[in-house]
Amino acid sequence: MATLLLILHGLVAVALLGAITHQTLAVCAPPRTKPHFFFGRFRAIPGAGFSNAIVVLYLISALLGAIVYLYFKVDLQPNLERDHHWHALGFFDLKEDFVAIGLGVLPAYWLCWRQPANSEDHQIRAALTLLLAFIVWWGFLVGHVVNNIGGFGS
Amino acid sequence: MSTSAYHRFVFAFGAAFALFYAVARARGLALFTVYPAQGIVLLGTHRSRDVADPVLDFLAPEMYWYGWTASAAIGALVIGLLAALLPGRLCWFWTGCVWVVPPMAMIACVYLIIPWFRF
Repeated sequence: MATLLLILHGLVAVALLGAITHQTLAVCAPPRTKPHFFFGRFRAIPGAGFSNAIVVLYLISALLGAIVYLYFKVDLQPNLERDHHWHALGFFDLKEDFVAIGLGVLPAYWLCWRQPANSEDHQIRAALTLLLAFIVWWGFLVGHVVNNIGGFGS
Repeated sequence: MSTSAYHRFVFAFGAAFALFYAVARARGLALFTVYPAQGIVLLGTHRSRDVADPVLDFLAPEMYWYGWTASAAIGALVIGLLAALLPGRLCWFWTGCVWVVPPMAMIACVYLIIPWFRF
């Protein structure tokens, strides 16, 4: 059950990672001319269209992570402590903290993307999107590394 | 920037949640403690190694994250409601807080995990 939930958590996280990365580049570095190459096309998307999906994916990912965390605490953390993976545990603690802070910011992020942007709104929108993108990337990379240390199905 | 009560609530909630989470994390103010191995949830912050024996920390690992998040959510809800009741001209304050406080709270969390790197 834990492995199934972890795979689901990972798949949702991949979708979230793609969506938030598209949106972050679209809001922070929009293309000035018609894009011809991959990187230009990657950021030439209407960012607002991603916000609902990002909120839903973030909530699902956080919920699945919160459930998987119970298994992690009982089955995996004692092994990591025994093997002295203190840095991995520290980074994982930060993942929990960042994800929780991201949950609190989510309503403001959603609202910023709902309303038409003037220059001030654009700054807040960009700041909150960057913040969430950082949290999602951090969570994804740390979760991936800790899972690799623990081993599949452990 | 619109200054509706809903906007003020949302921005104040985001900022206050981050602040209260960092405080709950630093001070150990969990609304409840979860013992996943036993399937027990206790109200408040409990440390099994403090009340019985250090070895219990290994046998009965406790989880505070859910409790910290719940504490922060309740605190943020109160601040959000207060912000919604306050005059609309204060919206600039909450708007500024919502993107300044969360990164600061994240930095505070980085400071709090330093002990993991001293081993």
